[in-house]
Order: sequence, then structure tokens, then C-alpha cells
Amino acid sequence: MRIITHTCPTCGTIVAANELEDNRVMKCPGLGCKEVVRFEDLPEEAREYFLEHKEQYQI
Amino acid sequence: MKGVLLSGGTGSRLRPITHTGPKQLVPVANKPVLKYAVEDFKEAGITEIGVVLGHKGRDEIQELLGDGSEYGVDITYIVQGEPLGLAHAAGCARDFVGDDDFVMYLGDNILKSGITDLVESFESGEYGAGIALQEVDDPQAFGIADIDESGNVTQLVEKPDDPPTNLALIGMYVFSPAVFDAIDELEPSWRGELEITDAIQSLLEDGYEIDSQIVTGWWKDTGKPEDILEANRLVLEDKDLLTEGIIEEGAKTDGRIELAESAVVEDGAVVRGPVSIAENVIIKDGTYVGPYTSIGADSTLENIHIENSVVIGGSRLTASGRIVDSLLGRNANVESADELLPEGRRLVVGENSQLKL
Repeated sequence: MRIITHTCPTCGTIVAANELEDNRVMKCPGLGCKEVVRFEDLPEEAREYFLEHKEQYQI
Repeated sequence: MKGVLLSGGTGSRLRPITHTGPKQLVPVANKPVLKYAVEDFKEAGITEIGVVLGHKGRDEIQELLGDGSEYGVDITYIVQGEPLGLAHAAGCARDFVGDDDFVMYLGDNILKSGITDLVESFESGEYGAGIALQEVDDPQAFGIADIDESGNVTQLVEKPDDPPTNLALIGMYVFSPAVFDAIDELEPSWRGELEITDAIQSLLEDGYEIDSQIVTGWWKDTGKPEDILEANRLVLEDKDLLTEGIIEEGAKTDGRIELAESAVVEDGAVVRGPVSIAENVIIKDGTYVGPYTSIGADSTLENIHIENSVVIGGSRLTASGRIVDSLLGRNANVESADELLPEGRRLVVGENSQLKL
């Protein structure tokens, strides 16, 4: 199964695509980080793959 | 070598304690379980640690560990979100791990001997992975490994009816980066999770050698209340306990006692070790604190008899009864109803609590 993540450019915190897609726009969950991270930060191809296989990323 | 510390999960087997916090922060001998893992990493020379967070307790875990500098390590946080299995958690750490090998450590586990032997054994060869194993009495309940005469794993089976050995996987793994390609090829299991045993099996089938390390000291998964009590007993049995607080004249003490500098055992109290008593705890007249008990910070005990128990902290225990084999959550109070009418016990009990009266 393809695992898709995004790394915050400011603090290095890694966020899984399921978390990004749940929130769409969120404050970076890294400690004290003020960066905003978005599902749209993922490459378009990765976003499409995730949405096409969304059931795999939910339990 | 890097470390990946898994700190997700719902902690459902530890309710109600985990209604208000993650299971990895439940204290054993007055130290959160997760800190033991960080110390084991550091002892093994691993200072770059990725902490994988689930849905629950992210803020509390980050508040405890911070950026790791307090512990002499460097921590990167990895938000897994949905609990899609151990292999998914490992896969989320791919960008953190890069081309390094890494140890994956379940954050609710404690083991006596640390992970140094596991790491050194893995580094002594060209392995795709290394796994820690322990002999168990009920192999049908575990993931079981079969190994050859040189300790290389030949087969993994999940909860087998006819186990080839009694060597169970205990939740400590070392991986080469090859595991990420194996994870990419996995499909979710019947329970919807990416299973780490499937990833290791895939490495085996691709021709990688899998090392094993049989752990002979104790190991505990602290997922249930009775496991916390057992881990507390095992740690207190082994730990160097330092008495820094005040033991008043007239107090009776015996055995090894960890007493924080600001804690007091007052005249008329009895404390029998091994016990751990944290900051700002007052043990008053008429109290008995018996072996294998940990009393968390900011608690007051009076007239009570307590042994083989864990009090997380902020408690007031003043009933004149006996408490044994118990786990009390933060700010839980047990006070006397002797002078209250009508006679009877008064309980304010949260969801999933267990009382034996």
C-alpha cells in the first residue's frame, strides 16, 4: 500500500495524507510550529491516488 | 541508526485511565512508560528519534518529550493519524529515516535489558531486519518465529494453532531501509491494518536474512491495568532507589525507598520498600505503604493501607481501609465515609471503571 506523507518545510514534522485530507487546512502539529499545512501541499498525482483509494486509508 | 517510537493507539484496555491521556504516559515507578523507551534509545547510541503520534494524546506526548533536548536526543514528530497498523506507522517514517537503518520500538513496552544487544546483533551482519523474541508459555496467543541454528528467522506465523517454537515477537524491531519497499507491496490485512509481520515475511521471501535476538530479561506490554502493576513491580525490583525526602522520627521504614526531596513520611507512618514516592507527597500518621507501590506527585495519604499499587498523582487517600493491586488515576480520591449518614459507600465512578468492594 502506498503511504503518502507531507513534511513541514519549517519544522520537519511529517503528516500522513489521511490526516491532511481529514483537515484539508491545519496548523502544523509540530511542537510550537506556526506553519499551515494543507492537503493541497501534496503533489497532484499523490492527492488523486489518495482520493481514488481513500477506503484503504480509513479503518 | 535512527529510532522510531510508536506512540499511537487508543489505550482502550486501560480505560478509564486513558480517557484523559495516552497510554504511553501512564507512569511506572513514577516515570511515564514512554521515557523508558527514550532512555533505551539513548543507551543504544540512537539520538535521532521519530515519534509517531496517533489521534490521541499528541499534545501531552509533545509536552513531555519536547524537542528531546532535555533527554539528550533529537525528536521529530510523525503524525500517523488513523491507526492503520505497525507497518503503516513505519512507512510514515520513511522520509525521516531516509537511507539509515532504524529501530522500531512500541512506546507502551518496557524491557529490562534495553535494545543495545538487538542493535549490536543486527549491525554484526547484513540483515534486512532484526526482531526481538522472548520465550512464552502460550505461543498460540502471539506472533511466533521459527529460527535456524545461527539465529536467523526462517518463518513467522501469527497466533499459530501448531506453533513451531515458543519464541514470540515482542514489539522491538530493527529494519534496513529495504523494509519500505516491502511495505509498499503490502495490502491491508483482514482487520484493515498493514501488518509488520507481513512486511518481515516479505523481506524473508525476497531473500533477506532476518536476525533474531532472544530477550532473557523481563519484558512487559503495559496495555492493561494488571500489566502496569506488574511492570511497576519489576522496575521497582531492579531500580536504584534514592531516599532524598524527610523521614520523621517515629516513622518506620524498611527496604529500598525512593523518596523525592519534597516528600515527607511523617511520625506514625510505616513504609516498606521497594516503593517510589514522588514530589510533594505526604505520608501521614496511621498510613502503611507496602512493597511495590508507587505514589505519584502531590498526593496525601492518611490512615490508609496500600500495597502493590500505582497512584498516578494528585490523590487524597484517607479512608481507613486496605487498597491492594490497584491503579488510581490522576486526582482520584479515596476518603472515609465513616461519619456520613446514611451509612454506605459514596462513589463517583467514570466510564469503564472497575471496582471490587
